[in-house]
Amino acid sequence: MSDVSRRHFLKLGACVVGGACAADALPSLAQATDGGDITTLRTTLPYPRMKLAAIGQLIIGREQLTTYPDQASPVVLVKLGRPAINGVGPDRDIVAFSRRCSHMGGILNFRPGTGTFHCPLHYAMFDAQKGGLLVIGHATDNLPQLELEVDAAGDVFAVGISGLLYGRQANVFA
Amino acid sequence: MSSIYHGEDRVPVPPADAERFTTVCSYCIVGCGYKVYKWPMGKEGGPLPHQNALRADYRNQQPEQVGTWISPAMHSVVTERSGRRFNIVVLPDKDCVVNKGNHSIRGGTHGDVLYAPDRPTADRLTHPLLYRGHSRLPTTWDEAIELGARVIKATLDTWGPDAIAMKCFDHGGGGGGFENNWAVGSFFFTGIGTKMASIHNRPAYNSEVFASSDAGIAPLPSAYLDAELADTIILIGANSYETQSIYFLEHMLPNLGGGTLPLKQQVLPEELHARGRMIIVDPRRTSTVAVAEAHAGKDNVLHLQINNGTDIALLNALSRLIYDQGWHDQDFIIRRTNNFAAFQQANLAQSLDEAVRLTGISKSQMMQAAEWIAKPKAPAARRRALFLYEKGLIWGLKNYENVASVVDLALLTGNLGKPGTGCGRLGGHQEGYSRPAYPGQRPPVNVDDVAVKGGASKVFWVAGCNPVGGTLNAQQFRASLAHRTALVNQALDATSGGSLDEKVAAVMTALDKGGLFHIVQDIYPTETAQYAHLVLPAAQWGEMNLTSINGERRLRLYEKFMDAPGIAEPDWKIMARMAQQLESAYRAEGKAEMAARFSGFTWSSDEDVFRAAAAGVKGAQEDYGDTTYAMLKVLGTNGVQTPVQGLENGLPVGTTRLYMDEKRFTFIPAAWPGFPPQIQALMDDPRYPFWVNNGRANHGWQTLYDDARKPYVMGREPFPHVEIHPQDAHRLDIVNGDLIELFNPYGSVSAMAVVTDSNAPGHVFMLFEHPNGWLNSLTTDYVDPATTIPYYKGTKAGIRKIGTMPGLNEQLTFIPTNQA
Ligand code: SF4
Ligand code: FES
Repeated sequence: MSDVSRRHFLKLGACVVGGACAADALPSLAQATDGGDITTLRTTLPYPRMKLAAIGQLIIGREQLTTYPDQASPVVLVKLGRPAINGVGPDRDIVAFSRRCSHMGGILNFRPGTGTFHCPLHYAMFDAQKGGLLVIGHATDNLPQLELEVDAAGDVFAVGISGLLYGRQANVFA
Repeated sequence: MSSIYHGEDRVPVPPADAERFTTVCSYCIVGCGYKVYKWPMGKEGGPLPHQNALRADYRNQQPEQVGTWISPAMHSVVTERSGRRFNIVVLPDKDCVVNKGNHSIRGGTHGDVLYAPDRPTADRLTHPLLYRGHSRLPTTWDEAIELGARVIKATLDTWGPDAIAMKCFDHGGGGGGFENNWAVGSFFFTGIGTKMASIHNRPAYNSEVFASSDAGIAPLPSAYLDAELADTIILIGANSYETQSIYFLEHMLPNLGGGTLPLKQQVLPEELHARGRMIIVDPRRTSTVAVAEAHAGKDNVLHLQINNGTDIALLNALSRLIYDQGWHDQDFIIRRTNNFAAFQQANLAQSLDEAVRLTGISKSQMMQAAEWIAKPKAPAARRRALFLYEKGLIWGLKNYENVASVVDLALLTGNLGKPGTGCGRLGGHQEGYSRPAYPGQRPPVNVDDVAVKGGASKVFWVAGCNPVGGTLNAQQFRASLAHRTALVNQALDATSGGSLDEKVAAVMTALDKGGLFHIVQDIYPTETAQYAHLVLPAAQWGEMNLTSINGERRLRLYEKFMDAPGIAEPDWKIMARMAQQLESAYRAEGKAEMAARFSGFTWSSDEDVFRAAAAGVKGAQEDYGDTTYAMLKVLGTNGVQTPVQGLENGLPVGTTRLYMDEKRFTFIPAAWPGFPPQIQALMDDPRYPFWVNNGRANHGWQTLYDDARKPYVMGREPFPHVEIHPQDAHRLDIVNGDLIELFNPYGSVSAMAVVTDSNAPGHVFMLFEHPNGWLNSLTTDYVDPATTIPYYKGTKAGIRKIGTMPGLNEQLTFIPTNQA
């Protein structure tokens, strides 16, 4: 996975926004005797690169349902019609997410009006425009977001996932 | 723009031989059960069921809801005192009847708050700190305790016990447990004997439900099972989806959805059953209203959107409607209550027209509520109504009458001591209260006013709370604390390099001139600790064994599974050290009587204190009798519901629901009292047009003491949010994410705007505690004179736009949370 440094930065970076935790105290206080834990928190297996859609065929607000990185992981790709965090395409509005709720795995429904994913099990709600941020509910992280690339022909590929898919120990099965 | 998230895409699984512990969530009253797994760094379990401690198959996708899954926020790597590093996973327990494997956003993030020197919890207090050289610097326990004890003793000897004031946790769960509470109480009440005591979130030493105890009802009379059996659940001043989340999701919602019909049929086969209904009394359309409607259908949920502060008028109007219809429980009133005539005279005199005008709720809605509460299901079958209230009522206009009016409504309709009924608190934190009796009177003294601002006390010991932001009228409190502690700072600055004798003498001179010696005992360097002379580092949940009960009185053992950071100690040990120091000082002076008051702190284990604390709960709803840690270990996350009736086969036998006997209750008269002068003055002043309601939010716990170290929480709420109606926002040119100022004569605070119609125009809702903006700078100094409980939930303010914070609107979500 290519994106490790960004991920680690964000994890502590959000804390700096709040200004409430002593971020500057963090590195100097580390006193690991047998360090190296950071790598165990990342998938060590490579993500597949998979075509999810062709830009020309996307209609604003209409879900494209597919799977990634394997058949047991339902995902949804949607063109929101307004720029989104980590959005791709000419309008930076194409995003894709896991359809399994990051609380306890309920299968989510999309509402195009608000651009939100809704869980029928315990009513968690996620914002598709804001990187899958939890609007309300009991998930402990964002909805896992697919990392997307668009090639010269206008095809959209999934190349990775930010966040751990519900029900897995690692996103890619060994 | 980048997103805010936890971010890992892999977690290590515990190996088959990982150490296991049982515990309970450190946060809310619901007390969800958890299992803890601990194993050395560098090791990891495999994906096959026999290769990991969870017996899960991670070669395949786990099924939804019933799968076993570790979210990244449930895992951490900690460093113990030996320097050894361990993986820790804190996983919701499927075998616990409270949560059945479920968890909230708060309990599901325990991995984030374990002390780790390379994570945001790195700022935990690791050593005592002493004011020295115009800062707070690490020192030894010996110096900290000796200096503290000498100042306390000199103060006690010179000015008497009330010169020592305290504001301390009284929690169960993460905040304390029976062990720490007993030690705190023994020190301040048996030892010092001070009346200047106050509880973590309020200015006095009081019950929040004096009216309920006067009526003869303990605060937590029912079981979570009752929410599965009730015909109607009435939530008053509670946003349970966000603040008693798993009680709401696992016990109330299934009833509203019809999922508990078979259970109702089985437990109560004689009567007709339908899916449950819910009435929610709240000035705000909360996510709780939305989720209840989504699950039960709009026809089964009634939201009474009440005007701030008018609960008494509403609840009395409901009593009157029910009585006028003849739907009251005459038999129950005769057999099980006293004082009906006084209730009739006070509460039933409530005019309905006045109630409509005050509350903003229509007569037809009131009638519908009356029907749902009390219109009999069949000639001989009364409805089973479960009344559950929390801070919206407790901290409303007038605490005593607020609570009395709901208690009376429950008595009028016979809803106590039967399956599917009850009248009690939902609760905030868990409970673990056991202390020797408070030496003060009722109503108790207002410690903020008299001891701190008024100067009556010279030493102020704060433990496990953050009053500079959390107490009422907090801006004035901060100003007073800053002024009085600075006098001691100056005295200490003048003794650089001096002996302990010189320091104590300097402090005493400053105290005599109005100074305040300030001790803070906590796990984090709180905002309150910024004023302290002595900071004492405490252990937290998971770093000691403790016991507590949840909202249905379920007692469990929360096992120690890791070391406290640095040389931090459990609160009970800190109290014991201080007491022993005082004991020997008095003994050395030959003052045997004083020495005796500080004796008895000789416990050598957490369990020693637990057993000693049994004396403080005798006959109470918490009574755990002869229960031991070993018994609780056997009972695991299901524990036993107190009061414990006795032992059978070596295990305690508990009580599901209180008052199944013939106990008699007392009606407490409670007429609508009108608004107090402080509030009336704000209501009459056009400069402060907005009613300011406030409360907790789903993702944060209490003062956010832990959450301030959870990147996913602070990332999503860097500043406290204020919900403002679109009409008001438009008029003030405010959009989502704007920074705004709220102000009134008591103080001012800045916050981040969220534009939503959850409140009526002219009403706003603000997050009540946040390190970047304390709502309580705006609350008045009004307390109910009968109980010394503040009207935290209502104040009035003006609002002004400050400006736009770049990036907030783009990065954060502003989708209304109340549309499930
Ligand atoms: S509902 Fe309460 S007890 Fe349960 S996990 Fe959430 S905060 Fe903890
Ligand atoms: S599984 Fe989605 S909210 Fe619980």
